[in-house]
Amino acid sequence: MKLHSNPWLRTAYARLWVRAKSIYGEPLWVAINIGFPFFTSFSFTMVYRAYGLGSYAGFAILGGVMISFWGNVLWSMASQFNWDKQVGLFEIYISSPASISAILVGMSLGGILGTAPSAALVALLGWAIFHPAVNPVWPAVISVFALTLASLYAMGMALSSLYLAYGREADSVNEALHEPVSLISGVYFPSTGGFSPFPLAVQAGASLIPLTLGMDALRRTLFFGQGFGEPTIDLELVALAIMGIVLLFASSKALKFLEDKGRRTGTIAVRQR
Amino acid sequence: MDMNDIDAAVTVRVNGLRRQFDSKEGKVIALDGVDMQVRKGEVFGVLGPNGAGKTTMIRILSTLLLPSSGKAEVMGFDVGKEPEKIRAVINMASGAERAGYDFITARGNLWFFSQLYGIPSEEAHKRINELSKMLGLQNYLDRKFYALSTGYKQRVTLVRAFINDPKVVFLDEPTIGLDVMTALSIREYILKQAKDHGRTILLATHNMAEVDAICNRVAIIDKGKILACDTPAALKRTLGASSLVLDVSPVPTLGALEPLGKLDGVKGYTSSIDEERGLSRIQVVVEGDAAGQSVVEAIRKMGMTVMSNWRQQATLEEVFVALVGRGFREREHETS
Amino acid sequence: MSLRAIAASIRVGWAREFNWTNPLAGFTLRTVGPLASVIAASAVYYVASVHNIPPSFDPSMLAYIIIGAALYTHVAAYSWVPTLAIAEGKWTYVFPQVYIAPHSSLPYLIGRTLASFASSTMTVIVSLILSFYALSSIIGTGIPFIVTPVSVSLLILAMVVNIFAAFGLGLLLSAYALFATKFEWALPTYVAGLLMIFSEALFPVSLLPHPVSDIANVLPFTEFMRASRYAMIYGDIPSYSLYLGLSVLGGLIFLGLGYAAFKYAENRARRLGVIDKKTA
Repeated sequence: MKLHSNPWLRTAYARLWVRAKSIYGEPLWVAINIGFPFFTSFSFTMVYRAYGLGSYAGFAILGGVMISFWGNVLWSMASQFNWDKQVGLFEIYISSPASISAILVGMSLGGILGTAPSAALVALLGWAIFHPAVNPVWPAVISVFALTLASLYAMGMALSSLYLAYGREADSVNEALHEPVSLISGVYFPSTGGFSPFPLAVQAGASLIPLTLGMDALRRTLFFGQGFGEPTIDLELVALAIMGIVLLFASSKALKFLEDKGRRTGTIAVRQR
Repeated sequence: MDMNDIDAAVTVRVNGLRRQFDSKEGKVIALDGVDMQVRKGEVFGVLGPNGAGKTTMIRILSTLLLPSSGKAEVMGFDVGKEPEKIRAVINMASGAERAGYDFITARGNLWFFSQLYGIPSEEAHKRINELSKMLGLQNYLDRKFYALSTGYKQRVTLVRAFINDPKVVFLDEPTIGLDVMTALSIREYILKQAKDHGRTILLATHNMAEVDAICNRVAIIDKGKILACDTPAALKRTLGASSLVLDVSPVPTLGALEPLGKLDGVKGYTSSIDEERGLSRIQVVVEGDAAGQSVVEAIRKMGMTVMSNWRQQATLEEVFVALVGRGFREREHETS
Repeated sequence: MSLRAIAASIRVGWAREFNWTNPLAGFTLRTVGPLASVIAASAVYYVASVHNIPPSFDPSMLAYIIIGAALYTHVAAYSWVPTLAIAEGKWTYVFPQVYIAPHSSLPYLIGRTLASFASSTMTVIVSLILSFYALSSIIGTGIPFIVTPVSVSLLILAMVVNIFAAFGLGLLLSAYALFATKFEWALPTYVAGLLMIFSEALFPVSLLPHPVSDIANVLPFTEFMRASRYAMIYGDIPSYSLYLGLSVLGGLIFLGLGYAAFKYAENRARRLGVIDKKTA
């Protein structure tokens, strides 16, 4: 079977194209998207440098890179179906034979492709300005980065189904989730392990969020020279893979459940009767 | 032979369809035992005031909503049990929707929608060009969606509705809010789709002129029930009477005309306001000249001056008035 | 300027902030973001200083970070409200209606800003209290805040005075939103990011290279941060007064700039015919 004749792949590719095209079609988006992550990571880098552990200023730059993806997951994945519902796109998806999972996967890959330039610019600018000390094990860094993104976007898929239950309040829920998750996940500082200021119970709870494990593993592989074979890295890689699979499965089940519920209660479209 | 009994090539079949919603005010019955059949190649109108249940019917048939009870089939597939099979052969569009991705061109959006149906890109682009040409959209295809006017966004929506070569298309008020010329070109397009390609088109609308212009048959719906179903001409014929039209001044309030409905020989009435001339136009469906005379007298007794009155051929709205006793305006006022 | 229009706009702004859910849930969800931001900034400082060789953790520096982070989220939250009111208002057609009413667009933007200022003041005060207790218990050390009726009053006075600067910034941003047809939503977040660097929220602006540090040094937001810290940490009233005065002066200059930009943008938007143009 030719790959391009597979309807699932066609749908996923089309959704990827729409997402990436929306961003690349407006180059100013990249410049705008880089703003908040870069300035925040700049500020935190200055805090590292001003008050002590300057050699770990790279933590903040890495945080700026990953917060770009987390922002994309929250604002363009989790709440996307909700937005689609408001403008009438979601009912087009549902009433077509397209697979919702294909749409979600396409949306995720498009989101990653669309966010990559601004995330890369955050990294490049941070590198150029602050020259953080790194000691990378690249195969491990790349593997951890890929798995972190996979599980993070799987979390976005799961959230997208939950958000279908919300109306216009989805934006407020996003605003409320953005900072607490980046705090608990330790986007700008280690929230788990020996460096963490948090008690063990908080660290254990935080480890249930893929971003937490991903950030920790990225710091270890990028700054501390740890690679495959290190028990913590291996464990975190396995945990990220399991989380990704579980979240994918959960999102597909939840979406099916919500679609059935929506058909029963009449909430697939915003319009009634 | 009754047109409704023809079984051959039935594409939409609805039996005892009922749907209720739970609301804060209690249960709301949107559809209350609807029976209906639509045939291949037919433009079938579902005509009724706002809140009559038209959109609910379209949402059920397009697999977005399950019925509370009863049965609905599209192309022989059950909406409850076989939604995937239905989705492959239908499409739908609503006049209330302006769905599209803002930063993508009209062409890009349409290509994206075609991919939801797994259409090869070359074929999709061919269809986009053909359908766009019919609607005069071809020169706007490379504009970003946000830069299109309301009328052109609606044209994109209507190209999308036919992009997958559907057997059955559900259209919900497709010309609402559009200017007369755009509405005319859209109606022509819809008619062509049914005639040339044998598609079934189910058109929910409260626009009588639209139904008169393009529908082969029409079901008149009110409060979730189908009151009559036939060709527009046959429905008007069944009224058996012309209607009495009166221009009166001053403009009465909606409730002030209620006594008219109680006069002997009056089947119902509706009114509209001619703001430019400061008049109210009252259309009364009457049986016989005597009833007409008593209507004129009753209006004078209400303190209004009859500026002019005449008889005219019945319209679909008067068919609705005869069936319900009220026009769309009064019906919507009652339910608001 | 119509006080009635301002009062009505405050009511609308308040409803826009909280009416989407029940008041408790609304307040909680509005507070967790600023609270998390304050704790995150504090945690970065804690990790950097405790693991320094030798450790350089200083509780008064932690207090510096807490005040800076909390007040930064406060300013960032309400200074973009005029932009939001215009961008969202174009979409819902509320703004063109407000605009064509006599002398109503500025009172409307003032009212919306004041409503957001009030709600953000509440959330920032709760964030300060909760982060103080949370961080004290996590770190196991006292945080040297001066909490007296006088210090708290001085802090609130500084916050009130800073409205001039924040509204001036809001008008500058909304000047763009008036004639923009895209990206007007994104611009405020960009500026908010810059504000984090230029307002001495987390580190002294003297650490920035010249001439950037000189610009940051005279921004009213920087003076506001300094005045607030002199009230709540250092207990130095003369320094507080100096920085408060500079904050007022800078705030008035910002307000004048914002007003001029808004008026210019208003004329330009009318020429371009985009005041009632829905944005992408």
